[in-house]
Amino acid sequence: MMMLQQKGCRLNISVNCPLYAYEWSTIVSPRKKTTQKKKATTVLTVKGLDNNGQRISSQKFEDIVQAAAQKSKKLVLETYGQHNVGGRLMPQGGPYHLTIRGPVGQRLGCMGQPGTTIICEGPASDDVGYLNIGADIVVLGDATNGVCNALAQGSVMINGSIGARGLTMTKWNPDYDRPELWVLGSVGDTFAEFNCGGIGIVCGVEAKNPDNVLGYRPCVGMVGGWIYYRGKTDGTYSTTNVKEIEPDDEQWQWLMERMPDYLEKIGRPKLLKTLSKRKEWKILTAISPQERALIFSGPMPMSEFRYKVWDRAFGGDPLRDLAPGLDRSPIGLIETGDLRRRQPYWANHEAAAPCTFYCPVHIPTIDRLRLIRDGRLEDAYELVLKHTPLPGSVCGHICPNLCMEGCSRQVVDKSIDVAMMGRAIKDAPPPKPAPNVNKKVAIIGGGPAGMNAAWQLALAGVEAHIFERDNKLGGKLAQVIPWDRLPKAIWDSEIDRFMSMENIHVNFNVEMTKSKFKELQKKFDYVIVAVGTHEPRRLPFPGKERVITALDFLKSAKSDNPMKVGKQVVIIGAGNVGCDVAFEAYQLGAEQVTLVDIQKPLAFGKEKEAAEAHGATFRWPVITKEVTREGLVTTEGDLIPAQTVIISIGDIPALKFLPDSVECLSVGGAAWIKTDAAGQTTEPNVFAVGDVERPGLATNALGSGKKSADYIIAQVQGKQWVSFDKKLIDIKTLTTEHYAPDIECGVHVEGEAYRCLSCGKCRDCHLCETMCPTNAISRREVPTEVGYEYISDPEKCIACGFCRDTCPCGIWVMQPF
Amino acid sequence: MVTIRSIPSTPSSLTHLDLQWIIKHREDRCTLCGRCTSICPKEAIYLTYRRQRMPKLDILKKKRSSEYRTFTGIRQRTEPANRCIGCGMCTTVCPNEAIGPEPNPLDSRVRLLQNDKGDAWKRGGRRNFRHTLLDRIIFNRISMLTDPALDAGRHEFQLNTLLGRVLSPEEYLRRKASGEWIPPVREIFPFVIGSMSFGALSPNMWLGLLQGVAYCNEVLGIPVVMATGEGGCPPWVLKSPYLKYIILQIASGYFGWDEIIRAIPDMQCDPAAIEIKYGQGAKPGDGGLLMWFKVSKLIARLRGVPEGVDLPSPPVHQTLYSIEESVMKMIQSLSMAWGFRVPVYPKISGSTSAKSVLNNLVRNPYASALMIDGVDGGTGAAYNVSMDAMGHPIASNLRECYLDLVAQGKQNEIPLFAAGGVGKNGNVTQNGMALIMLGASGVHIGKYMMQSAAGCLGSEQNRCNVCNIGICPKGITSQNIKLYRRLDPDQVAERVADTFMAISTEMKKIMAPLGRSQSLPIGMSDAIGIDDDAAAERLQIKYIC
Repeated sequence: MMMLQQKGCRLNISVNCPLYAYEWSTIVSPRKKTTQKKKATTVLTVKGLDNNGQRISSQKFEDIVQAAAQKSKKLVLETYGQHNVGGRLMPQGGPYHLTIRGPVGQRLGCMGQPGTTIICEGPASDDVGYLNIGADIVVLGDATNGVCNALAQGSVMINGSIGARGLTMTKWNPDYDRPELWVLGSVGDTFAEFNCGGIGIVCGVEAKNPDNVLGYRPCVGMVGGWIYYRGKTDGTYSTTNVKEIEPDDEQWQWLMERMPDYLEKIGRPKLLKTLSKRKEWKILTAISPQERALIFSGPMPMSEFRYKVWDRAFGGDPLRDLAPGLDRSPIGLIETGDLRRRQPYWANHEAAAPCTFYCPVHIPTIDRLRLIRDGRLEDAYELVLKHTPLPGSVCGHICPNLCMEGCSRQVVDKSIDVAMMGRAIKDAPPPKPAPNVNKKVAIIGGGPAGMNAAWQLALAGVEAHIFERDNKLGGKLAQVIPWDRLPKAIWDSEIDRFMSMENIHVNFNVEMTKSKFKELQKKFDYVIVAVGTHEPRRLPFPGKERVITALDFLKSAKSDNPMKVGKQVVIIGAGNVGCDVAFEAYQLGAEQVTLVDIQKPLAFGKEKEAAEAHGATFRWPVITKEVTREGLVTTEGDLIPAQTVIISIGDIPALKFLPDSVECLSVGGAAWIKTDAAGQTTEPNVFAVGDVERPGLATNALGSGKKSADYIIAQVQGKQWVSFDKKLIDIKTLTTEHYAPDIECGVHVEGEAYRCLSCGKCRDCHLCETMCPTNAISRREVPTEVGYEYISDPEKCIACGFCRDTCPCGIWVMQPF
Repeated sequence: MVTIRSIPSTPSSLTHLDLQWIIKHREDRCTLCGRCTSICPKEAIYLTYRRQRMPKLDILKKKRSSEYRTFTGIRQRTEPANRCIGCGMCTTVCPNEAIGPEPNPLDSRVRLLQNDKGDAWKRGGRRNFRHTLLDRIIFNRISMLTDPALDAGRHEFQLNTLLGRVLSPEEYLRRKASGEWIPPVREIFPFVIGSMSFGALSPNMWLGLLQGVAYCNEVLGIPVVMATGEGGCPPWVLKSPYLKYIILQIASGYFGWDEIIRAIPDMQCDPAAIEIKYGQGAKPGDGGLLMWFKVSKLIARLRGVPEGVDLPSPPVHQTLYSIEESVMKMIQSLSMAWGFRVPVYPKISGSTSAKSVLNNLVRNPYASALMIDGVDGGTGAAYNVSMDAMGHPIASNLRECYLDLVAQGKQNEIPLFAAGGVGKNGNVTQNGMALIMLGASGVHIGKYMMQSAAGCLGSEQNRCNVCNIGICPKGITSQNIKLYRRLDPDQVAERVADTFMAISTEMKKIMAPLGRSQSLPIGMSDAIGIDDDAAAERLQIKYIC
């Protein structure tokens, strides 16, 4: 009997033919004689029970079988439950034919070799064909679990059904034929798990389980091979590993070619017709990884789930009742437009620079400096002169320059030297006044407050009439402040300029009285009281009559006939005025000036420096007990020797001329005119400006005069008066690192202009435009006072804040959005 | 007047080296694109110019001068209000790896100054403690030939657990025969998405999580359920078929319950369960907290409160005064609301007093479970002191309660659910299964889901953790629509699905070697061990080394 296998081009001759040895190779070997002795072909029987009827152990039985196989290639094994029977019969000595009679143990045909044929004349136990690498095994009965586990080559044919876990872990080496398992009936659960290439044929005849011939969950992890089956199944095969197909022609032919041999071997040839109906057969074939990738892209994609299932269940947005129209669609991390969390704002002119803020007159020094940078020197001078008539005298000399104490430029090198700049204006012409508006204002007092009030009114076209008690303008500036601090030449030229202004009329040597005041109230539209404080404070200690007031002393010192002073001088009150007194005393011949005070001296700045430079000393705390011919005696009993004792503890207003309708406040034991924010008194048309309202510096007086004048001008023009209400710029918003320190500071006006930081006002430097990473910022002309603006395009802006971080003037700010 | 030159020094002055996170910026790599300053949630960084002086030191020249070079860089603010939180969004958007936060290796002084205006430090996140005992519990009773080890890849596994009062077989049969009420029991996946409120989470996050849960149930067949947290549930969700995947939480704030009750007639199905919150692990003894930043119009509408007000829930329910009363009153009432068809269970903070609560529940026929939330739980807002110092680690708390049930023979009847830092370092399945084998019927995961499903940046190194003020840069815990639109709910849902698929696989990889496939190994404490003798003693498991 011959069986030819077409695949693999090999010849495999079975038992009853002459012996052929073959090699372990794929090449068909021609007939080759072996060197082995020709073995006898008589059948040897090996018994599984010993002479005592005891079961021979599997180990011993194997020895006997191996020995018998040396002698004969045909063996009958009368097993009695021995295991591992039928393997290890090497092909060189074969082919072997084993007939198994009697109950056989597990692993029949285990590690079976090519050339071994085993016929088991009855049922077998577990693991038939375990690790079989070529034997052909026929079981004429059922087998149990684990049949063909790790089968790699050869075949197992069952005349019956098998148990669970059959045809698992099989292998297929492409050099050899595929291993095969033929089962007449059904197979148990977990069939063909991890089958890597074997072929299973399950015929479904006399199935142990006719409702499910393939068992529960077959082919889990099967990666190769195929299973022919016929009969009902429960469909639990692993769909990720195998697919069910109908046999194609080649596959059908393969089956039909081998079916007769199978049926012959198991002794059921009459079943051929039953098992030849093609329509009854199906195949479970392994899906390749590539196929699997195409079929199974995983479970339903989320987008599909969302559309088909999720959204439909809500009938719309699930939040539509709580938040109608809410758009929750995805956005990115860097957004523009309305999706930004903050946005830039160009806050030009909205905050005040320190110079403008701290100056009581609010002279916009940054604007002036910009005009100078633009080469418009005349316009710059005019700008300042529109704020004050005394830039040279006050800004340039006597003012402590409050504007510059906060100058942001200090962070870079030094404050702008505004004093130098003030002095440069002394020769500039006055600005042109506005056309006459037919209003008249009376100003009582020609000190700095009254002067600036007049100046502002005159510029606005209002007639300003000053009524001054002295024979010259300037109040304390002219009468009291030492010429050393306020050069006469500058003062005189500024007074000339002042007087040259149209609309200003000055009346000298006018003593104000109540009746005169009433007249002024009638004749003029407004009256401004600017009399300052020319009444010195005195103390009532013994010897007070020996004491000269600072006011009188300084006036005298400045006059053509200054009074004499002793060599030793004591000044009660160590403020700046006291220092002026000390200075003048030294000029007039004093040799030792002592300033005493009850508290720490308030003197500072140029006045103090001047006094100390001459050798003035300060002593405090000193309380005056009395003044004698020798000098000043303190409450502690010390005598400070002095020939001249001057008291300088401040001045108060002389307000005898005021009508009762103008209310006063009592502060510090003196009466001061009560005013509102605009300087208006309790009489609507009467204003009070300067020291008489609140004592201060000359610059305070100038500012006060301007403020009330502005109010009056607003009224005259029918406009709303707006006081200075800008907030001081936060210096942290400036970017001062853009400026390198200059070596030369305060040398000339143009140099100072270039040093200005222009706090709070855009200097048109284009740095923001350059720095913006998305090109969102651009500059355009607009018909406003400024003339241009920088804008940020919301469609491009990503709110990075670079503009704010870069802007040297602190204009760009970021606001929450 | 301000003296500009001086640098003011205050007790709260800080340098960048005093902060917890130090920004490292590389000028050579910076492209000056502006994205980092744009994205920073705390406005902690800004562009700055620095002028460097380069003195000309030529000794032979008579004139002395300096040159200046200006360089541009990103620097960080040192005011406590603008301190860097280490979230790393700057690194995310930087095109050239030029910037990023690094943890300060030294002590940061910020901790000492975080009470500006007397306001104690509040944050989101978990206790800032990086270790978890659960990581050290390993599974060591392997079925090595003693019983068939199962194939995690190929065999079938039954991974679900039961939420509900399980009657003893005799009692069940008796009641079935007599037609008496049988307590409702749900079969659910043992990893539950823990309570995170609609309000603490953004709408996109909350709905994204729910979408992922629905997907797990309907496409993957994994019966995941999600708890709502204290903030209620949008009415359209209550009326949808997804309600069956939702555990509705009722807490001392009672937010959103008017809508829930109003929706009962329209409900297409029952909720999975009702969770009565008496406490949470992150801040025991403290109620839920939603700060005003997050009470947007939408949240206010759902919760029935005015916009922009702080919502600190009371620590206790205002009408409950004892365990017995709490248990009787609330569990029975809420059970009744759904016709006794829905399991109702309390959630408590881990505490040495947890057993007392449990013992009361055992006696109550309506109690369906007990959920214990340990100290490592996360939260959207709490005082740091509550988070770091209040609470009880979950492992021994759960174990004690379970062993108590075992002593009474009730361990199969009333399930325990555990939570509090499960998955803290990423080992979510290991942690969960360790707790299950210590006796939990399941675990809740909250913060882990935020990290796994939405990319939450927070960590126990106190990274980010600004959930409470609503500036979450990923859009997870913010009510600002400009932030939460950064989070795509579909992507969250996909990640939820990924997470639960992976947990399923890992569960099988743990259960199969232990020889278990047909039921969750609840209380299988002979299968676990730990390399710490004291912990082993305390947990009554093996000490292995």
